[in-house]
Amino acid sequence: MVLEEDTFKEFEKAVGVGNVNDGEVITDAYAYNWCMEMFNYMDGKEPLPYSSRPKAVILPSSTEEVQKVVKLCNKYGIQVKAQSTGLGPWNCVSSNNSIVVDLRRMNKIVKIDEKNLYCVVEPYVSGAQLQAEIMKYGLNCHMPGAGPQVSPLASATSMNGPGFTSPSTGHSSRNVLGVEWVLPDGEIMRLGSWGMKNNPDWFNGDGPGPSLRGIMRGWAGAKSGLGIFTRVAVKLFPYPCSTDFELSGHSPNYDFKIPDFMRLYVMDCKNFKRLDEIIIQVEKEEISFMCSYLSGLAVMAIFANSFEQMMELMAVGGMKAPLVVIIAARTKREFEYKQKVMDYILEKNKLANIIGKQYTPYPVFYAEALRSNLGLHGFIATGGFQSTLGQCDTAKMCLNSATLNVPAKQLFIKKGAVANDFGEGVWMTSYESGHYFHAESPTMFDQTNKHSVKGTAQYFERSNEIGLVKHLGAPFFVEGDRWHDMFGPHMHNYHLWLRKIKEAFDPNNIADGGFYITPGKDKKGALKK
Amino acid sequence: MSNNSIISNLINICGEKNVSNDASVLEAYSSDMSYVEAKAPLCVAWPSNAKKIEEIVKLANKLYFSIIPISSSAGPRLHGDTIPQKDNCVVLDLSRMKKLLKLDKKNRVMMIEPGVTFGDIIPTLEKKGLKLNIPLHPRASKSVLASTLEREPVTIPRHMWDSSDPLLCTEVIFGTGDLFRTGTAGGPGTIKQQEKAGIAQLNPMGPTQFSPYRVIQGAQGSMGVVTWATIKLEMKPTIQKVYHLQSDDLQELLDFHHDLIKYRLCDELLILNNLNLACLLKQTPQEINNLAKELKKWNLIYVLAGRGKLANDKLEYLMGDIADIMEEQGLDPSKEKEIINDTNILRVLRQPDTDSWRMRLKGGHQDIFFLSNFERIPEFVSIMESQNSYDLGVYIQALNLGTSHHCEFNIYYNPNNAEESKHLKENFLKTCTKLMDAGAFFNRPYGPWAKEAYERHSASTQSALKKVKKIFDPNNVLNPGVLCFDD
Ligand SMILES: Cc1cc2nc3c(=O)[nH]c(=O)nc-3n(C[C@H](O)[C@H](O)[C@H](O)COP(=O)(O)OP(=O)(O)OC[C@H]3O[C@@H](n4cnc5c(N)ncnc54)[C@H](O)[C@@H]3O)c2cc1C
Repeated sequence: MVLEEDTFKEFEKAVGVGNVNDGEVITDAYAYNWCMEMFNYMDGKEPLPYSSRPKAVILPSSTEEVQKVVKLCNKYGIQVKAQSTGLGPWNCVSSNNSIVVDLRRMNKIVKIDEKNLYCVVEPYVSGAQLQAEIMKYGLNCHMPGAGPQVSPLASATSMNGPGFTSPSTGHSSRNVLGVEWVLPDGEIMRLGSWGMKNNPDWFNGDGPGPSLRGIMRGWAGAKSGLGIFTRVAVKLFPYPCSTDFELSGHSPNYDFKIPDFMRLYVMDCKNFKRLDEIIIQVEKEEISFMCSYLSGLAVMAIFANSFEQMMELMAVGGMKAPLVVIIAARTKREFEYKQKVMDYILEKNKLANIIGKQYTPYPVFYAEALRSNLGLHGFIATGGFQSTLGQCDTAKMCLNSATLNVPAKQLFIKKGAVANDFGEGVWMTSYESGHYFHAESPTMFDQTNKHSVKGTAQYFERSNEIGLVKHLGAPFFVEGDRWHDMFGPHMHNYHLWLRKIKEAFDPNNIADGGFYITPGKDKKGALKK
Repeated sequence: MSNNSIISNLINICGEKNVSNDASVLEAYSSDMSYVEAKAPLCVAWPSNAKKIEEIVKLANKLYFSIIPISSSAGPRLHGDTIPQKDNCVVLDLSRMKKLLKLDKKNRVMMIEPGVTFGDIIPTLEKKGLKLNIPLHPRASKSVLASTLEREPVTIPRHMWDSSDPLLCTEVIFGTGDLFRTGTAGGPGTIKQQEKAGIAQLNPMGPTQFSPYRVIQGAQGSMGVVTWATIKLEMKPTIQKVYHLQSDDLQELLDFHHDLIKYRLCDELLILNNLNLACLLKQTPQEINNLAKELKKWNLIYVLAGRGKLANDKLEYLMGDIADIMEEQGLDPSKEKEIINDTNILRVLRQPDTDSWRMRLKGGHQDIFFLSNFERIPEFVSIMESQNSYDLGVYIQALNLGTSHHCEFNIYYNPNNAEESKHLKENFLKTCTKLMDAGAFFNRPYGPWAKEAYERHSASTQSALKKVKKIFDPNNVLNPGVLCFDD
């Protein structure tokens, strides 16, 4: 037993018998996660796919039980790491004085509010489950590119938030309304209208006065470094077309009846300058359901179901600056108008849509687009992957950052550490009808090969540094003390403010800050114990 | 430290011409139309740039005076949030910082200083083919930046992707005197270096794992002094068609309104009662009363807009789809009566107001506003009507992609009628608290609302806000006494 017997019993009393486990079989399983080997190496450790072993795994079933667990952690000086659907190293503990709070028993869709266009979900509701329910109301939700199997709550409150439908469904962090949040000291905080004593409701997450959503997260989330979110209200959007969903056959070669008013465009803009102009032209028309730039290989990857199929798609892969747009409509009129706009843009820019001419995707492509599965699909043909870059502002900055990243990536391709995408592999999406963009460079590597892992980690660091010295903004993975202390001094010392927030909200340093920030040296709290 | 020494230090920073403790000057900052008790500031300073503001905030921490930032060039001020609550308050009047620092059509963004007003910016944007999502007929002298910081409701809900829109990045001097930049403006690099890399300060989120702009917003100047901000813009339509639907049944209009926002079919979208629509469109009390009588009680206004070569195609599709929705809902399109003309409505939706439309009927008004969900709007209207014996204007504005609704009640009264004024003053807060008790969410709690709103909100919110305040303004030098920052 890793927990003292009395401590174990207290946790068990809080969450019920059978919902606390500190046996190695279980705790080792929770120490494993995708990409852990790379993050270990960047932290100066052996590139093994395991984090420190958590002290125990605890499964609460309600906000009140989460609160009890957090209070016990404060009492015993144990750190706590939350996870919802658990995809990625960010779910792993940063020391063996940390327990994992796995929220899988909190799996309810609490509310679908058709009139106020939002829903309330618990942590272990997946995007797929949620979408299946809200479609009944003609509504859709935003899902991160990680796919429909991950938790909308984790993405909205704690992670990142870009998705393939971002032009029409925004970014996870901007879709947050009311929030229920167990702070690191065990207090329950309810943001916005959900915090009212009289008739609380979830429709707004800001105030009274300043919005604590600004403390909760930024472009990136606090990744469990500032407490545990137990319920969140997120915006819903009109489902982009008819909700009839006729799927048959077997994975991965499903057949699908493409909805009447849905059309895919893949156009080669030839170079980044034109791509920058054209993507903005499209987005200013406010017509797209999806609108992304994907490098040639990445386009191949979202269309293919296997490596062999991918190789057959060279005609697509040879494009220099492919722009992928999906329009979808609820009515025939809307569809015709949107097609007219696309025709006009194509003609004006002398572009050709290769879909239906040089290439016709399998119908299931459209199902995956509607189910927000294209991001995940892109990795069917590969082993390990992680994205570098991740800055967010204009399309021009994104394309600059993609260009500047090529030599760095090529260096590690040459070394045989990362898969050869000519250094060009990029996904850039528009948000909110082109009001901003982000780009990331997915990078494939072999998680089982030490040389590949080390090389990828080195490339990762190099890529982050380019962001810093070329003033492209902070990349995705500026998190954890080392990166904050590196970027902060070049960014108005933001890390000092972030650290003050951590210290003020987590006086005993209970929330595991491995992927956030930890208190100053004199205030290490639980870790000192 | 004596008052004289505070003033002489301020003069050293801003220059003699830009500091005043002249009684006639101070008077304008001592009271406003709200029920917040009048109190004169120690002096007013007009700093011209961020550097000077930084010095002043540092000085305030050293000499223990307070700072109230103000951005709009002229009143009428309404909410009492800039009336000094403590002794030794210096008003930092930023209205002379009027530079339009950047106007970027490609990226649909502008960077403005605090003194840029709706009156200044709207014509400039129009010339460039751009448009700002503005509040309903805003005062021409109102600071655009301050309006976004206050989360004032804007009239195009489908362009409001988050409750913070259209505010993007900011440069801010925190209460500690430290300069900070939020969102992508945070860097790395100077603004020039960022621009070279292609950045246009479009992304408000961050830097990294927090978003400080959200705690500056809604803070009534109590967290930081914003010295510039980037603001999101839209393309200006080339054609637009105004629709005005009337009904005696609010619910009937609300249901239709819901579909318009759900499917994002229109640009401006709002509901007004007859009196408020008349106040917006007419000038004299008689004209207002006449039009109000002609109108049905509830008025839904929406605008369809198109741009460029396919503008007409867009309008045709929208009109067709909307006609289908009307049919589905059993709404009679002939209810659209042309009592008022499109140009006049577009003027109030797109142009700033040179006087104040809320003053036209009686010369005075007190406003009550809060957020509600969709279903409870009629209930709040009933509560308000049952509590009120004055002429009442009502304005309902969907916000944040239709997820919440701003409900505003304008109580029109004659400020020169002592009895009327007294009666209203005595009853005003009572009415507000009645609404709060029923669950109206006063998320922008000005003046005396603050205490009441926080009392009706979970204690953990207050305690968290106080922690945040302690971080960014540890000595409480910025606008002390507002919100829950009274100690
Ligand atoms: C193929 C692939 C593509 C991806 N593409 C994208 C993408 O396009 N956009 C994107 O944003 N991400 C992407 N990711 C990264 C990541 O997997 C997602 O962000 C995903 O949302 C995280 O996984 P999760 O939802 O299972 O949340 P979790 O892994 O459960 O949680 C994520 C983080 O939040 C913390 N957390 C979770 N729940 C809570 C809670 N209730 N309270 C407090 N903290 C909590 C966890 O500790 C962890 O640090 C991708 C990943 C893969 C494998």
